[in-house]
Amino acid sequence: MVFAWKSAGLTYNRYLAVAARAVRRSLKEDKRVAAERRGEMDLRFAKWSNGKQGEVKSLAEANAAITKEAAAGSS
Amino acid sequence: MNSLRIARAALRARPAALRMPLQRRTYAEAATDKIKLSLALPHQSIYKSQDVVQVNIPAESGEMGVLANHVPSIEQLKPGLVEIVEEAGSSKQFFLSGGFAIVQPNSVMSINAVEGYPLEDFSADAVRAQITEAQKVANGSGSEQDIAEAKIELEVLESLQAVLK
Repeated sequence: MVFAWKSAGLTYNRYLAVAARAVRRSLKEDKRVAAERRGEMDLRFAKWSNGKQGEVKSLAEANAAITKEAAAGSS
Repeated sequence: MNSLRIARAALRARPAALRMPLQRRTYAEAATDKIKLSLALPHQSIYKSQDVVQVNIPAESGEMGVLANHVPSIEQLKPGLVEIVEEAGSSKQFFLSGGFAIVQPNSVMSINAVEGYPLEDFSADAVRAQITEAQKVANGSGSEQDIAEAKIELEVLESLQAVLK
Protein backbone atom coordinates (compact mmCIF):
# COMPACT_ATOMS: atom_id res chain seq x y z
CA MET A 1 0.00 0.00 0.00
CA VAL A 2 1.37 3.43 -0.94
CA PHE A 3 0.41 6.32 1.31
CA ALA A 4 -0.04 9.82 -0.11
CA TRP A 5 2.33 11.34 2.41
CA LYS A 6 5.00 8.82 1.45
CA SER A 7 5.15 10.12 -2.12
CA ALA A 8 5.54 13.67 -0.77
CA GLY A 9 8.76 12.49 0.87
CA LEU A 10 7.39 12.40 4.42
CA THR A 11 8.67 9.72 6.77
CA TYR A 12 6.42 7.60 9.00
CA ASN A 13 7.92 9.45 11.93
CA ARG A 14 6.81 12.78 10.48
CA TYR A 15 3.38 11.35 9.69
CA LEU A 16 2.96 10.32 13.33
CA ALA A 17 4.15 13.70 14.57
CA VAL A 18 1.64 15.56 12.38
CA ALA A 19 -1.21 13.24 13.39
CA ALA A 20 -0.33 13.61 17.08
CA ARG A 21 -0.20 17.40 16.71
CA ALA A 22 -3.71 17.43 15.25
CA VAL A 23 -4.97 15.29 18.15
CA ARG A 24 -3.36 17.58 20.73
CA ARG A 25 -4.87 20.67 19.14
CA SER A 26 -8.33 19.08 19.27
CA LEU A 27 -8.32 18.72 23.04
CA LYS A 28 -10.30 20.86 25.43
CA GLU A 29 -8.52 23.98 26.59
CA ASP A 30 -7.03 22.76 29.91
CA LYS A 31 -5.75 19.45 28.55
CA ARG A 32 -4.49 21.07 25.35
CA VAL A 33 -2.15 23.47 27.12
CA ALA A 34 -0.53 20.63 29.05
CA ALA A 35 -0.34 18.35 26.00
CA GLU A 36 1.02 20.83 23.48
CA ARG A 37 4.26 21.19 25.37
CA ARG A 38 5.01 17.59 24.39
CA GLY A 39 5.02 18.53 20.71
CA GLU A 40 7.77 21.08 21.03
CA MET A 41 11.13 20.13 19.61
CA ASP A 42 14.14 22.35 19.19
CA LEU A 43 17.28 20.39 18.41
CA ARG A 44 20.37 21.80 16.82
CA PHE A 45 23.35 19.97 15.42
CA ALA A 46 26.76 20.69 13.93
CA LYS A 47 29.10 18.57 11.91
CA TRP A 48 32.63 18.39 13.22
CA SER A 49 35.51 17.89 10.82
CA ASN A 50 39.27 18.14 11.40
CA GLY A 51 38.69 19.07 15.02
CA LYS A 52 36.58 22.10 14.11
CA GLN A 53 32.90 22.61 14.67
CA GLY A 54 30.93 23.33 11.52
CA GLU A 55 27.84 25.47 11.12
CA VAL A 56 25.12 24.90 13.75
CA LYS A 57 21.83 24.00 12.04
CA SER A 58 18.31 23.38 13.22
CA LEU A 59 17.32 19.72 12.96
CA ALA A 60 13.74 20.55 11.97
CA GLU A 61 14.89 22.71 9.04
CA ALA A 62 17.42 20.11 7.92
CA ASN A 63 14.72 17.43 8.03
CA ALA A 64 12.36 19.56 5.96
CA ALA A 65 15.07 20.04 3.34
CA ILE A 66 15.76 16.29 3.18
CA THR A 67 12.01 15.63 2.84
CA LYS A 68 11.84 17.93 -0.20
CA GLU A 69 14.83 16.19 -1.76
CA ALA A 70 13.30 12.77 -1.15
CA ALA A 71 10.07 13.87 -2.85
CA ALA A 72 11.98 15.30 -5.83
CA GLY A 73 14.04 12.13 -6.11
CA SER A 74 11.08 9.75 -6.06
CA SER A 75 8.82 11.60 -8.51
CA MET B 1 12.52 -23.46 25.93
CA ASN B 2 9.61 -21.75 27.57
CA SER B 3 7.20 -24.53 26.70
CA LEU B 4 9.58 -27.05 28.22
CA ARG B 5 9.57 -25.15 31.45
CA ILE B 6 5.78 -25.02 31.44
CA ALA B 7 5.56 -28.77 30.76
CA ARG B 8 7.84 -29.48 33.67
CA ALA B 9 5.87 -27.19 35.94
CA ALA B 10 2.66 -28.93 34.88
CA LEU B 11 4.11 -32.33 35.77
CA ARG B 12 5.05 -31.11 39.16
CA ALA B 13 1.69 -29.45 39.76
CA ARG B 14 -0.32 -32.51 38.76
CA PRO B 15 -0.56 -34.45 42.02
CA ALA B 16 -1.93 -31.35 43.74
CA ALA B 17 -4.42 -30.73 40.92
CA LEU B 18 -5.73 -34.28 41.06
CA ARG B 19 -6.62 -33.95 44.71
CA MET B 20 -8.86 -30.95 43.94
CA PRO B 21 -12.50 -31.42 42.92
CA LEU B 22 -12.73 -31.68 39.12
CA GLN B 23 -15.21 -28.84 38.58
CA ARG B 24 -13.11 -26.26 40.32
CA ARG B 25 -11.77 -23.61 37.96
CA THR B 26 -8.23 -22.57 38.69
CA TYR B 27 -6.96 -19.07 37.97
CA ALA B 28 -5.07 -20.26 34.88
CA GLU B 29 -8.25 -21.68 33.31
CA ALA B 30 -10.35 -18.67 34.15
CA ALA B 31 -7.76 -16.31 32.69
CA THR B 32 -7.60 -17.94 29.25
CA ASP B 33 -10.59 -16.00 27.90
CA LYS B 34 -8.95 -12.65 28.73
CA ILE B 35 -6.41 -10.54 26.90
CA LYS B 36 -3.54 -8.99 28.80
CA LEU B 37 -3.60 -5.49 27.35
CA SER B 38 -0.93 -2.83 27.53
CA LEU B 39 -1.84 0.50 26.00
CA ALA B 40 1.19 2.75 26.13
CA LEU B 41 1.92 6.32 25.09
CA PRO B 42 5.42 7.81 25.30
CA HIS B 43 4.42 9.78 28.39
CA GLN B 44 1.85 7.53 30.07
CA SER B 45 0.63 3.96 30.18
CA ILE B 46 -3.16 3.80 30.13
CA TYR B 47 -3.31 -0.01 30.55
CA LYS B 48 -0.50 -1.96 32.12
CA SER B 49 -0.93 -5.64 31.28
CA GLN B 50 -4.52 -5.55 32.49
CA ASP B 51 -7.03 -8.32 31.78
CA VAL B 52 -9.69 -7.25 29.27
CA VAL B 53 -12.25 -9.19 27.24
CA GLN B 54 -12.09 -7.60 23.80
CA VAL B 55 -10.21 -4.85 21.99
CA ASN B 56 -11.49 -3.23 18.78
CA ILE B 57 -8.83 -1.44 16.77
CA PRO B 58 -8.85 0.66 13.58
CA ALA B 59 -6.08 -1.12 11.65
CA GLU B 60 -4.89 0.08 8.24
CA SER B 61 -6.12 -3.27 6.90
CA GLY B 62 -9.59 -2.64 8.33
CA GLU B 63 -11.46 -2.44 11.62
CA MET B 64 -10.81 -5.51 13.71
CA GLY B 65 -11.85 -6.95 17.03
CA VAL B 66 -9.36 -8.93 19.06
CA LEU B 67 -10.44 -11.60 21.53
CA ALA B 68 -8.34 -13.98 23.59
CA ASN B 69 -6.22 -16.55 21.70
CA HIS B 70 -6.08 -14.34 18.61
CA VAL B 71 -3.54 -15.16 15.91
CA PRO B 72 -0.30 -13.28 16.62
CA SER B 73 -0.17 -10.25 14.35
CA ILE B 74 1.21 -6.76 13.93
CA GLU B 75 -1.18 -4.08 12.72
CA GLN B 76 -0.52 -0.47 11.80
CA LEU B 77 -3.24 1.71 13.28
CA LYS B 78 -5.12 4.51 11.56
CA PRO B 79 -5.92 7.57 13.64
CA GLY B 80 -9.15 6.40 15.21
CA LEU B 81 -11.14 4.99 18.05
CA VAL B 82 -9.92 2.05 20.09
CA GLU B 83 -12.64 0.35 22.09
CA ILE B 84 -11.79 -1.81 25.06
CA VAL B 85 -14.36 -4.13 26.61
CA GLU B 86 -13.32 -4.67 30.19
CA GLU B 87 -13.94 -7.63 32.46
CA ALA B 88 -17.03 -6.13 34.07
CA GLY B 89 -18.62 -5.76 30.63
CA SER B 90 -18.24 -1.99 30.51
CA SER B 91 -16.33 -0.55 27.57
CA LYS B 92 -13.90 2.32 27.30
CA GLN B 93 -13.07 4.34 24.21
CA PHE B 94 -9.85 6.14 23.41
CA PHE B 95 -8.98 8.13 20.32
CA LEU B 96 -5.42 7.30 19.28
CA SER B 97 -3.37 9.35 16.85
CA GLY B 98 -1.92 6.30 15.12
CA GLY B 99 0.67 3.71 16.01
CA PHE B 100 0.94 -0.05 16.18
CA ALA B 101 -0.99 -2.87 17.77
CA ILE B 102 0.88 -6.09 18.42
CA VAL B 103 -0.93 -9.30 19.27
CA GLN B 104 1.49 -11.73 20.83
CA PRO B 105 0.91 -15.43 21.51
CA ASN B 106 -0.73 -16.35 24.86
CA SER B 107 -3.31 -13.52 24.55
CA VAL B 108 -0.89 -10.72 25.21
CA MET B 109 -1.57 -7.50 23.34
CA SER B 110 0.28 -4.22 23.26
CA ILE B 111 -0.84 -1.02 21.60
CA ASN B 112 1.60 1.82 21.11
CA ALA B 113 0.53 5.28 20.04
CA VAL B 114 1.83 8.82 20.24
CA GLU B 115 -1.30 10.48 21.65
CA GLY B 116 -4.44 8.94 23.08
CA TYR B 117 -7.33 10.49 24.98
CA PRO B 118 -10.84 9.46 26.02
CA LEU B 119 -13.53 11.04 23.85
CA GLU B 120 -14.79 13.45 26.51
CA ASP B 121 -11.44 15.26 26.45
CA PHE B 122 -11.98 16.51 22.89
CA SER B 123 -13.63 19.74 21.88
CA ALA B 124 -15.85 19.52 18.80
CA ASP B 125 -15.35 23.24 18.17
CA ALA B 126 -11.57 22.90 18.05
CA VAL B 127 -11.93 20.02 15.57
CA ARG B 128 -14.26 22.02 13.33
CA ALA B 129 -11.94 25.04 13.35
CA GLN B 130 -8.94 22.90 12.45
CA ILE B 131 -10.78 21.19 9.59
CA THR B 132 -11.50 24.57 7.96
CA GLU B 133 -7.88 25.55 8.44
CA ALA B 134 -6.48 22.27 7.05
CA GLN B 135 -8.82 22.34 4.06
CA LYS B 136 -7.55 25.80 3.18
CA VAL B 137 -3.96 24.55 3.18
CA ALA B 138 -4.79 21.30 1.37
CA ASN B 139 -6.49 23.18 -1.49
CA GLY B 140 -4.00 26.05 -1.43
CA SER B 141 -0.82 26.54 -3.41
CA GLY B 142 1.67 25.57 -0.69
CA SER B 143 4.55 23.12 -1.16
CA GLU B 144 3.88 19.43 -1.78
CA GLN B 145 4.93 18.73 1.83
CA ASP B 146 2.57 21.32 3.33
CA ILE B 147 -0.33 19.87 1.34
CA ALA B 148 0.59 16.33 2.40
CA GLU B 149 0.70 17.39 6.05
CA ALA B 150 -2.66 19.14 5.77
CA LYS B 151 -4.12 15.96 4.29
CA ILE B 152 -2.79 13.93 7.24
CA GLU B 153 -4.44 16.42 9.60
CA LEU B 154 -7.70 16.13 7.67
CA GLU B 155 -7.58 12.35 7.97
CA VAL B 156 -7.17 12.63 11.75
CA LEU B 157 -9.75 15.38 12.20
CA GLU B 158 -12.43 13.81 10.03
CA SER B 159 -12.03 10.52 11.89
CA LEU B 160 -12.29 12.43 15.16
CA GLN B 161 -15.34 14.39 14.03
CA ALA B 162 -17.08 11.18 12.96
CA VAL B 163 -16.71 9.60 16.41
CA LEU B 164 -17.53 12.76 18.35
CA LYS B 165 -21.04 12.93 16.91
